[in-house]
Amino acid sequence: MALFGEARDISMFRHVNRELMGNVISQQVVYYKPDIQETVVNMYGEASKEKYWNEPVLLNSIIERSDQSYPDSEIGVDFQWGITFKFLRDDLLNKLEEFNSNSVYGANLVPEVGDIIMWKNGYYEVDGTNANQYFVGKNPDYDYKDDNGDNPLGNMDLDQFGYSVSIICNTHYVPADKLAISPYKERF
Amino acid sequence: MADIAIWPGSSSFAPGKTPFGFYDYDSEFMGDADKVAKFCAQRLGYPIQNVELQDINFYTAFEEATTIYANELYAYKIRENYLSLEGGDARFPLNDKIIQPNLATIIKYSGQYGTEAGVGGNTNWYSGSISLTGSVQDYNLDTWASENGLEGENVEIRRVFYEAPPAIDRFYDPFGGTGTGMMGLTDSFGWGGYSPAVNFLLMPLNFDLARMQSIEMSEQIRRSNYSFELINNQLRIFPIPSDGDTGTKLWFQYLKKDERLADSIIDATDKISDVSNVPYENPQYLKINSVGRSWIFEMTLAIAKEMLAYVRNKYQNIPIPGSDVTLNGSDLLAGGEKDRDKLVEKLRTYFDETSKRAMLERRRDESQFRNEEMTYIPMTIFVG
Repeated sequence: MALFGEARDISMFRHVNRELMGNVISQQVVYYKPDIQETVVNMYGEASKEKYWNEPVLLNSIIERSDQSYPDSEIGVDFQWGITFKFLRDDLLNKLEEFNSNSVYGANLVPEVGDIIMWKNGYYEVDGTNANQYFVGKNPDYDYKDDNGDNPLGNMDLDQFGYSVSIICNTHYVPADKLAISPYKERF
Repeated sequence: MADIAIWPGSSSFAPGKTPFGFYDYDSEFMGDADKVAKFCAQRLGYPIQNVELQDINFYTAFEEATTIYANELYAYKIRENYLSLEGGDARFPLNDKIIQPNLATIIKYSGQYGTEAGVGGNTNWYSGSISLTGSVQDYNLDTWASENGLEGENVEIRRVFYEAPPAIDRFYDPFGGTGTGMMGLTDSFGWGGYSPAVNFLLMPLNFDLARMQSIEMSEQIRRSNYSFELINNQLRIFPIPSDGDTGTKLWFQYLKKDERLADSIIDATDKISDVSNVPYENPQYLKINSVGRSWIFEMTLAIAKEMLAYVRNKYQNIPIPGSDVTLNGSDLLAGGEKDRDKLVEKLRTYFDETSKRAMLERRRDESQFRNEEMTYIPMTIFVG
């Protein structure tokens, strides 16, 4: 059986992370996911007309910024700014999780390419996501049990060990007018 | 996955929340438990920071601190009074008792000297005798021992009755009035010590003493006085017995060496035999005064610091999204241990300052200072 990184330890990590990200670092972003039911797409899966967005969600995040750059292009001077947003994965899970019930956390969203993150009134489109930070190298979602609920190697409680800590989103800056995200419904 | 709650900002104590439950039903303890928990949490940074402990952790620390206080107190009391306690009844608690100093143990300790000095003690002395044989000066007491069912190695001769009759029996009553020149005469006739009652002069005691010394010195110098030599249970007596001494018994006293050891071990069932069974029980928290409680609160905090340190230090680094952080467990641990040591040292100093010895020294000093101060008062001349 596994010994280290048990759910009790992970709970403590979660408390520390939420305290650190919520009360100490306190960087917040607004997360938009497209409403794929309302958004009309063409045969290539592109939104040819208006894009619709789900209600935004406010999240704590650790933000890592690269330098802004201003490359020349055919149409003039452009503006580029790549930012990495790091989320605590547990914050993104749903309210049914014990650690999210009775708390402000539990966004119930899965970051995907194309999502929009708003920070400092700027919009950043997700280019890629990375969920590859495992404490003691284990992800408790994978307990390797067979159809009978047994782990052939005898590790019956792997679902209680390890921790998938984060989801990291790499983004690039997107001008607001390209997204047509507006808090005002009358815009439409 | 489970969510283990941490300190939420308040608590509600109930019996059963401490590991041992020593004080769970003490009304004052119950009342203080939540206040102490709040005090510790706030001293550890709450609500500015989370404190990764629960109420039961604080209660545990509180119980431990109270017990440490009691341990220090009763250990001090035991140290202070152990000589007066050893051998006492171990069945009844001493918590609410005042211990009067006594000499029981000191006298017990002194018994060993009494044994060696032949004036009491705790080991029996036995009498034995050998029959003298004319012209035989040496006697093997090991042989005597084996003849009497003893082991020679186990026999230690403590006294040999070799002496001549006491000098007091050897001179006639000074009130006989016959003068020093007649010393030994009446004794030679077999009526030494009798008084013809013809002298009514009151003689001082030193006169008698001088006469006895005179007789004994005369015996030693003018005659071959009785003596003996005892080496490794081989007895040599002086002078060499004459034929007329044959059959005369020479008495001696001895002890059995194994009894000396056996007699020093006393069965102490239900009695105080060492510091571990001095009957002190856990104290009643409600009887601890504010000075003691204040110490307990501080000690609770020190223990809570250590607990929090162990929680935060189990892993060197805590993962956060995209990185990891190191918590302040090491600082907390060092601080908690330092606080704990200082508190214990402070308490011991406090107890030592109230020991009987310290209090007597203090009274002596006060008395000396008072007397010294009195000397500064001008001594006026009384004018009547």
